[in-house]
Amino acid sequence: MYKKILAAVDEHLNSEVAARYAIHLAKACGSKIYICHVAAKREQRTAGRDAEAAASRLFHRARDMGLMVENILDSGDPVERIREIVQSEGIDLVFVSTRREDMQKRFYSGTIARRLSLGLPCSVALVRVVHLGRIHPKKILVPLKARTSHIAERSFFTAMMAAAFESGLFLFHTTKPMTSFFHGEIHLAPVELEKKLPADISHFIELLDSYAVSHQKRLVSGNTARSITIEAAAKRFDLVVMGASERSLLRSILEGNPVEDLLRETPCNLIILKARHEDK
Amino acid sequence: MKINSLSRDQILQGLVTSENGLAEDEARRRLAEFGSNEITETRKRPLFLRFLNQLTHFLALLLWFAALLSFLSEYLLPGEGMLSLGIAITAVIFINAVFTFIQEYRAEKALEAMKKLLPFNVQVLRDGKQRDVAAGEIVPGDVVILAEGDKVPADLRLIEESDIRVNNSSLTGESESVPRTTAPCDGEIINSPNIVFAGTSVVSGSGKGIVFATGMRTEFGRIAQLTGTVTPDLSPLQKEIVKITRVVTAIAGVTGLFFFTIGFLIGRTFWDNFLFAIGIILANVPEGLLPTVTLSLAMGSQRMAKRNALIKTLTSVETLGSVTVICTDKTGTLTQNRMTVKKAVNIGGEATSGNKPFSPLAVAYLCNNTLEVDGKLKGEPTEAALYRAAVEAGGHIENTRIREFAFDSDRKRMSTLHRIKDKAYVMTKGAPESLLATCTRYLAEDGVRLLDDKIKEQAVTLYRSLMDEGLRVLAFGFREIGEDEQIEAKEDAEQGIVLTGLIGLADPPRPEVAEAIKKCREAGIRIIMITGDGSRTAVAIAREIGLVRAEPTVVEGTEFLRMTDAELHDVLSGEEVIFSRMTPKHKLRVVNVLKEKGERVAVTGDGVNDAPALKRADIGIAMGITGTDVAKEAADMVLLDDNFATIVNAVEEGRAIFENIRKFITYIFAHLTPEAIPYILFIVFRIPLPLTVMQILAIDLGTETIPALALGVEGPEAAIMKQPPRPLTKGLIDRSLLFRGYIFLGLIGSIGVLAAYFHVLYWGGWRWGVELPMDNPLARQASTATFLGIVVMQIGNVFACRTRTESVFKAGMFSNRLILWGILIELLLCLGIIYTPWGNRIFSTAPVGVDVWLLLLPFTIILFLAEELRKYFRRKRAAGA
Repeated sequence: MYKKILAAVDEHLNSEVAARYAIHLAKACGSKIYICHVAAKREQRTAGRDAEAAASRLFHRARDMGLMVENILDSGDPVERIREIVQSEGIDLVFVSTRREDMQKRFYSGTIARRLSLGLPCSVALVRVVHLGRIHPKKILVPLKARTSHIAERSFFTAMMAAAFESGLFLFHTTKPMTSFFHGEIHLAPVELEKKLPADISHFIELLDSYAVSHQKRLVSGNTARSITIEAAAKRFDLVVMGASERSLLRSILEGNPVEDLLRETPCNLIILKARHEDK
Repeated sequence: MKINSLSRDQILQGLVTSENGLAEDEARRRLAEFGSNEITETRKRPLFLRFLNQLTHFLALLLWFAALLSFLSEYLLPGEGMLSLGIAITAVIFINAVFTFIQEYRAEKALEAMKKLLPFNVQVLRDGKQRDVAAGEIVPGDVVILAEGDKVPADLRLIEESDIRVNNSSLTGESESVPRTTAPCDGEIINSPNIVFAGTSVVSGSGKGIVFATGMRTEFGRIAQLTGTVTPDLSPLQKEIVKITRVVTAIAGVTGLFFFTIGFLIGRTFWDNFLFAIGIILANVPEGLLPTVTLSLAMGSQRMAKRNALIKTLTSVETLGSVTVICTDKTGTLTQNRMTVKKAVNIGGEATSGNKPFSPLAVAYLCNNTLEVDGKLKGEPTEAALYRAAVEAGGHIENTRIREFAFDSDRKRMSTLHRIKDKAYVMTKGAPESLLATCTRYLAEDGVRLLDDKIKEQAVTLYRSLMDEGLRVLAFGFREIGEDEQIEAKEDAEQGIVLTGLIGLADPPRPEVAEAIKKCREAGIRIIMITGDGSRTAVAIAREIGLVRAEPTVVEGTEFLRMTDAELHDVLSGEEVIFSRMTPKHKLRVVNVLKEKGERVAVTGDGVNDAPALKRADIGIAMGITGTDVAKEAADMVLLDDNFATIVNAVEEGRAIFENIRKFITYIFAHLTPEAIPYILFIVFRIPLPLTVMQILAIDLGTETIPALALGVEGPEAAIMKQPPRPLTKGLIDRSLLFRGYIFLGLIGSIGVLAAYFHVLYWGGWRWGVELPMDNPLARQASTATFLGIVVMQIGNVFACRTRTESVFKAGMFSNRLILWGILIELLLCLGIIYTPWGNRIFSTAPVGVDVWLLLLPFTIILFLAEELRKYFRRKRAAGA
């Protein structure tokens, strides 16, 4: 599925760490990796130098791991240039790191991360790096939601991430608590929740099984973002891998956006996949 | 690979830094990327929104609606006092909102206590120079310099050290300091000896470390995040109030609509019907419910405080009563935390005396970090007990300590290197199964011999028999260090050890605990012990205090970590469960799984890392004596005496409060029938109006308020701890309560009320079919008789509602003084309404003769005695069952 993966780097350490995830995924998928830095017009000289140094380190790392690797150093509008590169090279997946400043903007409006995730014609993995002690994840938390798209690609990505780091996968599904007018919240035990497991999640699990990736699963009811945060913190997960939000802007304003909440409060590194490969 | 398993160069590469630290520019950039190194609260709703929430929940909305109807009535029918009612209801909404808001706000101070454990300034290397920077500006990649006494600002991987020891108690709960090293090691970061964590402190030595996690991403921040994020669910009482509100709303709406329709059908005017419907709805809205419940809880918390349980959040008072499982620590809570050496034996099981080389007590003396300061022992209780016993047995031993390999929970042993006279020795102590693995010889009467399988078996049998006596058992060993031997690591030291013997220590149970556990058993509450002790010791103690009777399910820490949640679910379904060799960090998982099973969980804790579990549980219980500030802030209740028995007393109080709330709901419901039946007769038989809207409101919001409050302070009934916890499905209101209130007490009350009403009408000359307008003096007297009837019947009712099954005579007829005051105030109000021109004008009443009072008296006594009879049959049926 991923023959060519591009990792966008800049002068920030976050982007270098995000690119390391890309390199390992490329290794697991047998893909070619592109390390790309596009210097914006107003970029300071030191920043450009640091970004090129990071690209160079990553290039050597990828080469040492036996990957086909190519460095692209360019200038211009990063989003535009990366889009052109994706189209011209036929890139399947782009890794890009989110920045802390992005988190402070509601719905990341105007951020490079958002522009890339919406504007690129390929899949995009947004990486939020918050912890530098657990770069090689041994425990990956995979939150799943009921109605989801691109199940095949998401399961492939998840399975390959697990394979890349020989990690254990923990699938996690949170549902809204059931309520009735007179009785309020109705408690459901995990066995009862299991019976209500949505079809999309069952399908996702079947696909994961086909990659022979071992996994555990846990079903709880409660607030989605908070439950994921608690699970990730309580059990010391190294990485969270989840799909991008499919909520409309209006719904996000009215009901909140779990992905946005999690990006802000994640206790470990987080990858959000905006999948674009259609299910067959 | 994780940071703990990397070499020095790999760390520097991975974090893109150097031994000279970061450049200032890069540090600034990283500060922008990773944020300040500080403990922050998770994003919460702004304060004003949270306050607004208190004004807009369902009950508040219902009260707003009631207030609106009152204002509307005032507009339509001025001068009837509805304005005052509307204002009163609005005040109730605001008072409740402010009170609840303050409660919530106070409960969120745990993070403040955590922040105090972090330093303000720290020494770092930047551009190769040592700088003093604010701890908040530390970023990943920074090289931090640590010295004795420093608080650690962030999670660091050590790259240099000089005999550095840190106190990790804020993370692990273990008070003893541990040494740190720089060598790479595998395993979890949290257990790695080459990591120094934020929130801990350097006890001695010095070192240099590279920051790899800051702020909320550190282990300390993780605890803070969990503490801040895990929000307890609504308490059972809060959920019940939501349910009651909805039920009452439905009843009020349907009743109002019913009377409006009936009135319309019999030809009353629209506005008459509308105003009456409003009155009926207002009468049903429980304006006094929240203040009454709150006052009842406040009084309960005061009673608990007198019994050494300090309640921090009021609703916890009732939650305690619904608890189904208590997860408790052993040491200090079930036991006295007064560790003493009970037995010191050699491998043959014979008692050893003195501390001659190298008896178990001699090794215990040497391999020990207890300090003697001004004649007092300072150190971990077990170590202090060993030290004390060794000194008492044979005094001090001349030696020079060379080195220490500290205890850690993975290998479960510690070793020290000593020079005694001209020779060097390794002294080792630890959990028997762990120490035995390092032993190749043992100390017999006639010298050192080979430790073969048979002797090993004998040693195992010996330590098991000691553990079965409830003793905490440690094994001791030593060996001489060869002249040319180099000991660099613990693995070098801990090999070829000579097993010298075992020591059993006892921590006696608290005397009150056995009785408290018996109470819990009778009350259907399961107790799960979570202890760091070994399984056999835990089981033996549990057996001694009556916690287990059959063969309990025992889960050891290592097994616990391997278990999936599904397996843990199964284990926690067992009747008797003990978790041994556990650390506080595991409690949160146990609490989570229990809550998923639908249990209502109380959990005890004292350390910083207990805070998330304390917050997550329905009732978090912190230890008042040994507890950290963080634990106390995170908990709902603080035990001032650290005693398990106090929890059980508090549960009893909690159950009593739930029953008390049911009592005053029954009391309130019992007057609704005598209010409704006369009105139905008025509509069906066209009799004169028996009760006006203002009279109904005078009862609901006036006369019966204080007696209802008085029911909230009733003490627990004798049988209250002999019933199982109420099931999740059982609410405050159930069929039996509705029957008792509306039907049984309500109908008896209605008979008395109607008797008074018709007595006044007939003696006044009224005959069937004659219509009397409300301005007719006889009609006013008749409705006053109805009003008085309800008030007098409620006097008998308040006594009847004092107990659920127990006889009031047994409980003490006049033991609740507040009820007597309540009745006095009720009667004074009633006299004011009936016998003053002011009362007559506002409430459309007229004075009635003493004959009406005398007529009502037997009815109220009958009501009380009928309820006593009902309780008698109920007790008899329960005894038969």
